[in-house]
Amino acid sequence: MSDPQPVKTSTLNRRKFLTVAGAGVAGGSLLTMLEARQAPAQIKGTTLRILQWSHFIPAYDAWFDNVFVKEWGEKNGVKVRVDHIPHLELPARMAAEFAAGAGHDIIHNGSSILTRLYYKSLVDISDIYEQAGKKHGGWIPAARPLVSVEGREYGMPMFYILLPMLWRKDLFDQAGLKPPDTWELARVAARTLKPKGHPTGIQFSQCADANLNWRSLLFSFGGAEADPSGEHILIDSKETREALRFAKALFDEGMTAEVFSWDDASDNRFLASGVGCWIHDAISAYRTTEDTNPPVFANTQIALEPAGPNGKRVSVSAANVYMIWKFSKNQQAAKEFLTYFTDSDREGMIQSRGYNMPYLTGFAKKPMPIIGADPKMQILQDFPNIVAFYGYPGPFTTPIQEVVNLFVLPDMFTRIARGQNVEDVVKWGMGEYRRIFAKHKTA
Amino acid sequence: MAAPRTARQKDVRRHLLIYAGLTPFVLIAVFPIYWMAITAFKQEPDLYRMDNIPFWFNLPPTLKNFNILFHQTNYGAWIVNTMNISAWVALITLLTAVPAGYALARLRLPGAENIGIAIFMTYLVPGIILFLPLSRVVATLGLQDSWWALVVTYPTFTVPFCTWLMMGFFKTVPMEMEEAARVDGCGQFGALIRVVLPVSLPGVLTSVIFAFTLSMQDVLYGLAFVSPGDQKPVPVGVPTELIRGDVYFWGSLMGAALLVGLPVAILYNFFLDRFIQGITGGVVK
Amino acid sequence: MTTASLRGGPEPTARAAVVSVPAPAAARVWWRTHSAQRKVFGYTLLAPAALYVLLLVGAPFLFSLWLAVSDANVGDPVARFIGLENFRAAWEMDTFWIAFQNSVVFLVVAAIFKSLLGTSLAFLLLQQFRGKKLIRGLVVIPFTLPIGISVLSWKWMYDSQFSVINWALSRVGLIGAYGSESWPIWLGQPHLALAACIAVNVWRTFPFSAIVLLAGFTAVPLEVIDAAKVDGCTFMQRFRHVVVPMIFPILMIGFLFDTVFTLSDLSVVYFLTQGGPGNASKILPVLAYQIGIQAGNLGRGAAIALFLVPLLVPALFLMLRNLKRREW
Repeated sequence: MSDPQPVKTSTLNRRKFLTVAGAGVAGGSLLTMLEARQAPAQIKGTTLRILQWSHFIPAYDAWFDNVFVKEWGEKNGVKVRVDHIPHLELPARMAAEFAAGAGHDIIHNGSSILTRLYYKSLVDISDIYEQAGKKHGGWIPAARPLVSVEGREYGMPMFYILLPMLWRKDLFDQAGLKPPDTWELARVAARTLKPKGHPTGIQFSQCADANLNWRSLLFSFGGAEADPSGEHILIDSKETREALRFAKALFDEGMTAEVFSWDDASDNRFLASGVGCWIHDAISAYRTTEDTNPPVFANTQIALEPAGPNGKRVSVSAANVYMIWKFSKNQQAAKEFLTYFTDSDREGMIQSRGYNMPYLTGFAKKPMPIIGADPKMQILQDFPNIVAFYGYPGPFTTPIQEVVNLFVLPDMFTRIARGQNVEDVVKWGMGEYRRIFAKHKTA
Repeated sequence: MAAPRTARQKDVRRHLLIYAGLTPFVLIAVFPIYWMAITAFKQEPDLYRMDNIPFWFNLPPTLKNFNILFHQTNYGAWIVNTMNISAWVALITLLTAVPAGYALARLRLPGAENIGIAIFMTYLVPGIILFLPLSRVVATLGLQDSWWALVVTYPTFTVPFCTWLMMGFFKTVPMEMEEAARVDGCGQFGALIRVVLPVSLPGVLTSVIFAFTLSMQDVLYGLAFVSPGDQKPVPVGVPTELIRGDVYFWGSLMGAALLVGLPVAILYNFFLDRFIQGITGGVVK
Repeated sequence: MTTASLRGGPEPTARAAVVSVPAPAAARVWWRTHSAQRKVFGYTLLAPAALYVLLLVGAPFLFSLWLAVSDANVGDPVARFIGLENFRAAWEMDTFWIAFQNSVVFLVVAAIFKSLLGTSLAFLLLQQFRGKKLIRGLVVIPFTLPIGISVLSWKWMYDSQFSVINWALSRVGLIGAYGSESWPIWLGQPHLALAACIAVNVWRTFPFSAIVLLAGFTAVPLEVIDAAKVDGCTFMQRFRHVVVPMIFPILMIGFLFDTVFTLSDLSVVYFLTQGGPGNASKILPVLAYQIGIQAGNLGRGAAIALFLVPLLVPALFLMLRNLKRREW
């Protein structure tokens, strides 16, 4: 992204550009903000504390902390404080606040969505969840399973972060390759470009991106993790085996062994160095090259999630959800704020420079701010139809949470890449899934 | 004339041998530090060039990374917090661990051994579990989200450690010295203060330094107990604001580590000298 | 270390100096008369530390024991007693045994390297030479940097693509170019990944070992060493029979605490590999954190974390027996 060095000459220009480009659509969000109803008087004079991650974009945090919540706070007479911690450590902080029975009023979950673990200690916000759905054209189907437990909603899905295909058009063109619209084409490209010094890479390791990327591949191949009830494991399937075999071939033909060591940031560097021919990652990987390697930035394109053998596309994204603690002494202000935050989705999309993707179809209409105005990023507007989260097509349950945290699925792909045979890998994976699911059932 | 020269040659040879022996250690210890330092002054694109020599600047050095640290994060506050926390932890540790170490090592108290074991056993309790009940303690004390929370919790690992360290040091002080002091009319407490402590000064200083450094090694408690941007210590603040999603601000990260680590190293070195002075002084008297 | 102890014998040989300890009979009588006073004094000195530890560690420890035998989840206030179920669950888990094994390997290999490097460094720093202060200052830096951040710089040095280590090795000709078979992927090859994590631990803590030893060595009076020299002891004999016994308590304590610290520290592995690739570098604290906190199964996390205790208790008793034998 362009923002690791916020002191930049081009920032101003881009901002101006964005203002102009987004003027048409921003009008709507301004209206929403202006018409925002006055909050009830009883929240006046209270304090609201919010805990969230540090956004990819430092300027987004600056806007959120110093402008967005401040304006809302002033209007409603509420003092708002926002704290940040690293997104991977949010579960630890949440556990600590739970144990202490004190802390923030609103808590954010990114990637690991812990609604089901904590729902007994969270405020049931079904009412504002439903209201928001009605007001903004309904939630996308993948939203509800993130926050819903036994028919009640305990969290507000706020945005998700996409991991699309980022590919080097120049390299593809030189080799006469077709854009990576299917996984097969992506594999052909990697096979062709690796001998020319441009392999591809997806993390065969224990990191958050590996959990997301391999699920995208698996689900696009028609595979599934659990059924919609969340009770039955669907990993042992023909499609899983196909996906595994494909990954093995992709690794053998198109990658080097370094992918075993990768973390969430390694593929960013891989692209930035000009080596990678394509990666499957958040757009931060693409954005950062604007500063670190401008030619790569100019030649990198964003593609829709590649289709599997049967044309299916499923893009597994990093979910972000906000919840309210039951111990909060200011639940009403918290609910007011979450409503306002949801209503201001469009503003969030603008300030996050297109990272934040909306769960509400009303906000997902084309053209979306920022990404709708950027020719390269326009394609991101097609993702809301194919987005999914962990556990697909089932909900993000507590056993799935443990499966994710123990990196069972990336380990299956790692095993196949290291040469274990498909049946052994599936048997091992099923064993882990079963063990974890069984334990949660007895508990 | 011949004799001094050979003495000098001998000295030179000794020096060379020592330097040769030290080189690998210095390399191992210092190379990562050098690497951090140079990264802190590099421009971002310079980090991602594979063809160039990475040990030196291929693009002009920059202060931008420090600029980010001081102007776009709360780094200044983090340093102050870290120093405050470390100093308080060191003080608390001294006031509890030194007397306890002395009592356990020297006073032949009934049950001393069991108490010693109990204190040590607490060091075995894994922090990854301990932080949950501790967060309750912190909240009860009303210290949640203030750096004072860490002043209260860090001694849970410095006190057992330093108590045992001091036990070790006190055991090396001969009993006769203390008895001599008592014969000279010092009380028990007087003997401790005037005789045993000065001789054990290296141990006391070691304890202080360990309390200081151990306080900077924690990440988990800091993450769990302190979330406001202006209350964090450096090891918690840095990953919070300099790792964003999958974007690492390498230069600023490394600059941040060095800026707190180097002063402590210098302080350390200064104290190290004091130890030796203290101990040789004790012998001469 | 004192003139008093050296005056103890007519011939201050090394042995005599070291074992010059048993207090004279007269003193013992003198002690006994002040026995009560001594106890009050002693317990008063002990009280602050004991209370602190009891309140802030003892009570929470009991709580974590309870967690280990309950089905507690992070978000569920009600937990049932389920006996040793959590331990059984861990026992039946492949990953647990891999992590257990890795923890032991990590501990032993790291300890060997630390003591080798630490001892030799301490000896070198005992010598008088020019520039000593500077060098001493340089070698302690790894220990003074906050581990949470310095491990990130190692992550950068181990990078699969921009590893400065590989760059240097490649230029010297020891390994091939980037992309070739012989280009090591430090954090991606199973054995290398664990070794890489161990290396960071050793890098960070060998100055610690050296300092503890150095402080111990300097506490050995030069006279004693000189006396041993006069007696014609070789260097190794002096080391074994004079220096080691004198600094033994400090040595053991440093060693033991380092052991515990190494075993329970999750930051190195957590930040470098998260335990990957495939579980090749998973160690118990990381597994306990992932299961107990991130996946929310407090009970099982606590059980896994507490498996560390049986690993450590034998070491503890060994040390205590040794210390007791040397009781003065």
